[in-house]
Amino acid sequence: MKNNSIQHSAYTLQLRALLSKFVGSCLLFAVSCLLLACAPKKESPLPIYGERDLAGADTVYHTIGDFKFVDQDSATVTNDTYKNKIYVTDFFFTSCRTICPIMKTQMLRLYDSIENDPDVLLLSHTIDPEYDTVALLHDFANRLGVKSSKWHFVTGDKEEIYKIAQTSYFATALEDKSEPDGFIHSGAFLLIDRQKRIRGKYDGTKEEDVNRLLKDIRRLKKENGTI
Amino acid sequence: MEQSNFVKLPATSHKLQEVHRQLVICSLKLVAFFCLLACTSKSSETSSPKFQQYFIQGEQLYLQHCSNCHQKNGRGLGLIYPPLDTSDYMQNNVTDVLCLIRNGKSGEVIVNGKNFNQKMPGITTLSDLEIAEIATYIFNSWSHKQGLLEVREVSKILLSCDSLAKKID
Repeated sequence: MKNNSIQHSAYTLQLRALLSKFVGSCLLFAVSCLLLACAPKKESPLPIYGERDLAGADTVYHTIGDFKFVDQDSATVTNDTYKNKIYVTDFFFTSCRTICPIMKTQMLRLYDSIENDPDVLLLSHTIDPEYDTVALLHDFANRLGVKSSKWHFVTGDKEEIYKIAQTSYFATALEDKSEPDGFIHSGAFLLIDRQKRIRGKYDGTKEEDVNRLLKDIRRLKKENGTI
Repeated sequence: MEQSNFVKLPATSHKLQEVHRQLVICSLKLVAFFCLLACTSKSSETSSPKFQQYFIQGEQLYLQHCSNCHQKNGRGLGLIYPPLDTSDYMQNNVTDVLCLIRNGKSGEVIVNGKNFNQKMPGITTLSDLEIAEIATYIFNSWSHKQGLLEVREVSKILLSCDSLAKKID
């Protein structure tokens, strides 16, 4: 009988030790969860790309230059179209069979996530304006099933498109007959803020990079106090 | 105290062992069940080494030549690039599909009742065997279960579409 009670107490001691270990690890887990949850609040703001100058005491950042193109509805698209909006832009052409279809699949995913968000718009420039006419872009956008008020597909003067790609967006867009499709271009998506500044650069052919872009759009909106 | 500890411990570890044993048996049963499920759904042809060779090689070629537009998951893109995962066009036009891989296709195509009209360039560098491998892959992926498309059969079809193309020219 006595032996039994000793056994019993030894058993409960073991149980207690186990229990306290369990509670301890639970607490540790909870604390780390809390820390993780709090961390994004302290995240640093998104970088601002490009050269910067000092004008007196103010820093002047690189901004997107003026542009004037025509979209799939023959409507004129300028900087004013994107005034006070966050937008994502890229360079492509409809007959491209290399990276563009993957980029467009990813951009469509982006479109689905911001379709009902009035703060965010999309802008796709064709780098093959001779082939990609307004009618062709209209058909292309229709076949993707997207609204022109949300996603403008623009065409215009070829030199102007190449110039804005290189000098404003730091994206590569060149005609090169030796390339399989006749053009060299990057698959980059660029995130532009309300002040026309570049805040992010992403590989539009990589799903993970576009996931990062989706997160960064939210960060940018937080910065502007819109969420 | 120490002695009693020794007495008690084996008893609890026995219980643990029993639980562990049952867990192992249970998971083994589960694995066996899935194996059975996987085996029964495959016909004898699709498990043959030849089929496997065609299929695996075909997948690599698909990723290299086709998936940019038709996507890795075969779903295509909007009404621009037609889907392959479920496609009445593929089911009803095997010959045409083989020919268009080599010679390309332009003009309207109706797939699952929807109109597509994007020019597809032919891939002239592919050999008959490579086209047979791609065809074996796409005709046995997603919703398709056509079985092996052997190079001998495929070559015959490709010859007929080559002559068709020449007649049109």
